[in-house]
Amino acid sequence: MDTEGNVENTSLVLIKQGAEARVFESTFAGRKSVVKERFSKKYRHPTLDSKLTLKRLNAEARCMTKARRLGVSTPVLYAVDPISHTLTFEYVEGPSIKDIFLEFGLQGVVEEKMDDIALQIGDTIGKLHDGGVVHGDLTTSNMLWRSGSNQLILIDFGLSFVSTLPEDKAVDLYVLERALLSMHSSCGNVMDKILAAYRKSSKQWSATFNKLGQVRLRGRKRTMIG
Amino acid sequence: MKVYELSGTTLSVALFTDVANSKELLELMQAGTLEPEVALLNASLIPDIFPVLAAAHKTLVAKSRDSLTTRTLHSELVYNYSGSKHISESLKRCGISDSTTYVLVARFGASEEEMIAVKTLIKGKEIDLEELEGRANKPQIQKHYKITGVELGISTLGDAITCRIAARDAL
Repeated sequence: MDTEGNVENTSLVLIKQGAEARVFESTFAGRKSVVKERFSKKYRHPTLDSKLTLKRLNAEARCMTKARRLGVSTPVLYAVDPISHTLTFEYVEGPSIKDIFLEFGLQGVVEEKMDDIALQIGDTIGKLHDGGVVHGDLTTSNMLWRSGSNQLILIDFGLSFVSTLPEDKAVDLYVLERALLSMHSSCGNVMDKILAAYRKSSKQWSATFNKLGQVRLRGRKRTMIG
Repeated sequence: MKVYELSGTTLSVALFTDVANSKELLELMQAGTLEPEVALLNASLIPDIFPVLAAAHKTLVAKSRDSLTTRTLHSELVYNYSGSKHISESLKRCGISDSTTYVLVARFGASEEEMIAVKTLIKGKEIDLEELEGRANKPQIQKHYKITGVELGISTLGDAITCRIAARDAL
């Protein structure tokens, strides 16, 4: 008889703290895992607070697993706990795309790797959008590069929602474009490469592209007239 | 057989093939007189032990909050493994039937004597857990959990099942 694995989240080590949640490193059934805890906001009414927290927790779990069904790599979901407001998922080994691009900025761009990354980003977003999922927070820090397999992993579906509107998809792409411009302008025009791959991957690209043109002119927020 | 540590308790797991007395086991279980109480899972739906552990974790959390959906701790494990909210259907598909010959047995917090008793209870040949992957019925798993080829392009069968077990109550 041999014993192995420890499912309990005994050792929680804080990795990151954001405005909506804390992220810990832990183990789940013998696998390295990440625990994301949405904490309560004391300034909100308690009833409203627990409703919002739960709704977002469930939406995140849903969008993450839906993305996987569309063939988009996201961390494997291990557990959802509506009482402690936590999600437990796979710990992905590898740097974020942000770190890779920042290094490109300092050390010079490795063209081959850059092309591979841009291709995967465009392809991934295309699949996601065609399946009706809008990520809502596409930045390079929400993309990981799995060591070994060199596979793009999309994380943080905390702002994701289901939509088929070209408007929502265009805003999703626009957010990424702005993030790339502000963080990684020294990497050359990555966005063009991403859009080229997106165009190949998404069947609805023309509607989204047209909208993207409009969004670029007015910014992320819609103008309210009338 | 193997013992996994889980949330302060253990899950002992053993895999059997050529089980001859499923009908009898099923009757004992339905009468509530199965001794010791165990979970009997249809092993052809299990390509890897990890999703079983994820379901076990979920079961223990529910138990600690006194919020089991089914009657016993061990039937809850079978129900949780199914990834569906339909209880009787889950027990039928992921549990055993009269004719099941390939069975995964699991018990929480089992003593050595209890696991010896389990081995005499089940009239079959015990095999290594390593055999799960090769013996799994992939088309049946894909149908039950609605896993498409697209998803398998980025995921293993076991991980796809784990996601469904975890996300069930969020859907």
